[in-house]
Amino acid sequence: MLCKNLLHSLNQWLMEIQEIDRETALSGLLDQIPERIKKISEKRDSFLTDTVLLGEIPSPTYGEDERIRAVVDRFRENGLSAPNIDEFGNASAHLPGTEGQSSILVMAHADSVFSREVRHEIQVGSGHMSGPGIADNALGLAAMIALPRLLDDLGIRLRDDLILVANSRSLGRANLEGASGFLETMSLPARAGICVEGSTLGRLSYSGLGTLRGEITLQVPSDYDWKRFGASGAISHVTGLINQIREIPIPKEPKTQLVFGGLRCGSSFNTSPKQGTLRFEITSEDDDIIGQMEDQLNEICEQFSAETGTLVSMEVVAKRQNCSIPFTHPLVKTTRSIMQEAGITPKVDPSTGDLNALILSGLPAVTLGLTTVENLREINETVQLDPLYAGMTQLVSLIQAIDQGICDS
Amino acid sequence: MNKINENWLERNTFHHADFWDLIKLVEEKEKKGLKISLCIPTLNEEKTIGKEVLILRSELMERYPLIDEFAVIDSGSKDKTLEVAKNYGADVYLASDILPEVGDKRGKGENLWKAIHQLKGDIICYVDADISNIHPRFVYGLVAPLIHRDEISYVKAFYDRPLNYSSGLRPSGGGRVTEILIRPLFSLFFPELSHIIQPLSGEYAARREVLEKIPFPIGYGVETSHLLDLYAMHGLETFAQTDLDRRVHRNQTTNALGKMSFGILQTFFNRLHAQGKLDRMPDLETFYRRFEVEEGKYHQLVQEVIEEERPPMIDIEGYRNRMASS
Repeated sequence: MLCKNLLHSLNQWLMEIQEIDRETALSGLLDQIPERIKKISEKRDSFLTDTVLLGEIPSPTYGEDERIRAVVDRFRENGLSAPNIDEFGNASAHLPGTEGQSSILVMAHADSVFSREVRHEIQVGSGHMSGPGIADNALGLAAMIALPRLLDDLGIRLRDDLILVANSRSLGRANLEGASGFLETMSLPARAGICVEGSTLGRLSYSGLGTLRGEITLQVPSDYDWKRFGASGAISHVTGLINQIREIPIPKEPKTQLVFGGLRCGSSFNTSPKQGTLRFEITSEDDDIIGQMEDQLNEICEQFSAETGTLVSMEVVAKRQNCSIPFTHPLVKTTRSIMQEAGITPKVDPSTGDLNALILSGLPAVTLGLTTVENLREINETVQLDPLYAGMTQLVSLIQAIDQGICDS
Repeated sequence: MNKINENWLERNTFHHADFWDLIKLVEEKEKKGLKISLCIPTLNEEKTIGKEVLILRSELMERYPLIDEFAVIDSGSKDKTLEVAKNYGADVYLASDILPEVGDKRGKGENLWKAIHQLKGDIICYVDADISNIHPRFVYGLVAPLIHRDEISYVKAFYDRPLNYSSGLRPSGGGRVTEILIRPLFSLFFPELSHIIQPLSGEYAARREVLEKIPFPIGYGVETSHLLDLYAMHGLETFAQTDLDRRVHRNQTTNALGKMSFGILQTFFNRLHAQGKLDRMPDLETFYRRFEVEEGKYHQLVQEVIEEERPPMIDIEGYRNRMASS
């Protein structure tokens, strides 16, 4: 009994020493932040240049090949190990650590919401840059690529390997296909992961929100009886369908949201369209609620179809489970401390992006944003440069903290 | 088809991708002890100058030290051109402050000319400030032939593909003034120079030793005069040209192109006059020369265009008879 108590005390004592070590290491790291922001601002040209060069290559989801090739070229030019494009279209490479027993994964998605037809021209002003997709996610991609040179410039040698990934097929219908594929086939054990997004500075995501994205298509059949009571074109029917969907009760707790994100129907002034497509997204903190709402939507579609003589079908294009690491996880706590020291106000924001794939694969992970952004996902998307240097500093400092074991649970 | 010219096209026409290995290019430049200066002439270019300075400095001075000096020479911009260029690390000069004893003339050629005095490089590369798809190839594609081949002293850029493309017409050819004015003029008076695919392109690189020996029109005629003067001094062999793919820039109005053509014609006829070609007019050539590209190789197309003429109708007997009897 005495022996057991002694062992317990010893364990507790060891844990306390570990905690003191961790706090000392974190404090040393935080002290360097103001100087780092300055140094990173002086070394900005390389990652600003990559932001422009990569941002001017169109990269719609499933059409990222050219941008991905440019990323791999950069990995090679930067002397990284094992530059590779995998079967999912992701580009990856390693910066070997001094020990290399574990690794840190940094991921930035390479696809953009803008189609190839949009003119991808980035404009560079004194304190800002603007153009389609610059924040989401040319800047995140360039920041990820810049890490090995920045670490070197700052005199940081990591013990862990740094795995850099530009993942394809992240947005919309792709349903995180690139990130999930990479994680399934990743060989090195990772200590933690960071997803990098251009938007927005202060963003701290440590949970992935349950999500269902779907498309409802309504067709007026060729043998439709235009004389029947209530007969009308696709626009009226889709409007009716939307009104019925809006009747679905949406709980406030657990937090749930239904967003209609797109509606395509008709092409002229005077012709009744025969088809309409409605895009929507349900997000909820509870996977069961998403399941129930999916069932309700299916029922509404079936009933509407039967009552109106139209053909209504629903396709689920992306589905994600809720996932999270605790708010008290050392990775989250450390990220908040780093942000505060860098003058960044953390804003907790659940992710519907690649973070889900990382956390669901068992990795503690967060998503960070790099700078303040205006007109997100518009043609004139604009990133501010002054806040960016603090954003880059938080990223570099968090990688160093993970490497030093400060973020281990 | 002239065999020497055909060989010139093959030997002295490059594609920027031929020089993708920038490490090798920098090594060769250092081995030859060459210094390279980059000059961007500006006048109210705040929209595009930031990107040009950022990308060219970052890629060709910091990542690959190909350029030793980077200067923006300005004609007195009223917008934020100088502030933006300075912010991204360019050396910024006002053309009026360089060689003040010779006075200040307003025009792009003035800035290019004064750059020879202000900059220290053995090679000077000039790049226009209005390129919205700027890329390092716009510089390394032009200086590389000068680094690799000692006998070349002047390298011109060309863009897109010429009008007649093997798979059909392309939307843009050599530019309207080139196709309508310069190519016909060169075909008439300097057929060999018609091998230069885009004689008016604003991007070129040249050795100091040739730039310092030629006059510079300060306006629209500067590119034309360079070609005519260096051709008269050294022949076609001194030139090379590099395909830089696509260039996106401001479109000019037809009126602006008319003004430009007027300036170019002045330069052109001044040269003809100086070379005695106006007083002793040679027989005019009847071959019109343009280009086609097939499987990446450029060929000159030579087409005979003889402008035959009929005399005034009044000189024709049949006409006079008909008029007399009616």
